[in-house]
Amino acid sequence: MNESRPYRRPAPKDWWAKAPYRAYTVREMSGLAVAGYGAVLFAGLYSLSQGPESWAAYVRFLQSPVSLLLHAALLAAVLYHVKTWFQILPKTMPKLILGRAPVAQRTITRVATIFAGACSLALVLITLGVAR
Amino acid sequence: MTGPARDNRSISPIFWLLFGAGGMLSALFGPGLILITGFFAPLGVGLPENFLSYDHALAFAQNPVGKLAVLVVVALFFWHGAERLFLTLKDMKAGPSLLLKLCTYGVAAVVTAAVIALLLAIGF
Repeated sequence: MNESRPYRRPAPKDWWAKAPYRAYTVREMSGLAVAGYGAVLFAGLYSLSQGPESWAAYVRFLQSPVSLLLHAALLAAVLYHVKTWFQILPKTMPKLILGRAPVAQRTITRVATIFAGACSLALVLITLGVAR
Repeated sequence: MTGPARDNRSISPIFWLLFGAGGMLSALFGPGLILITGFFAPLGVGLPENFLSYDHALAFAQNPVGKLAVLVVVALFFWHGAERLFLTLKDMKAGPSLLLKLCTYGVAAVVTAAVIALLLAIGF
């Protein structure tokens, strides 16, 4: 009889849909948008492997309003992922000490978010430049 | 000391690593990638007309660096989503752990294998 039976506070079934947990649920679901975009790219790779006609159909899909709306939604969700990802970053990394004082979490978040923006911007500009 | 510690080793850190790598990669380059493949390329904004041509796309997928980029982006993005979905469903007590793992990690593993197979089938 040495099994412990800790008290578990009862929680409603839909606790994850209620504040304050809802914010975490939304944040975690932004990972689905990341995977969803991966799925769009995967469909492209599959179409490419099936030959020119299949690839042309994929390009037509990319040009359709449905695809543009889908990508707008994916972009919004991934931007939310960027924001929350760098809010988490200072909480998961070892304490950063510059000089003698630890760097404030807000500073790490801000610098990392700006850096991420620069990475995406550089990718777009380099692609536009190279393809020209 | 090493005995029990060895027995207690978990496979979870591998999934955390893939989750973290996918999260960081998508946070750094995700918006840029979506802008390029979702808007600029199909709409022909700032890019030449042949950017999305079959020959151009095939050359990209046949280039070893291009292959690596496709594999890393698609696979890590799926592993990132899989970890987040798995932990959320687990917290929701949505089903038995093994089933949830099959539906999340399992999908990411199958997609990773499929990407490798497709990249090899496309050739060099």
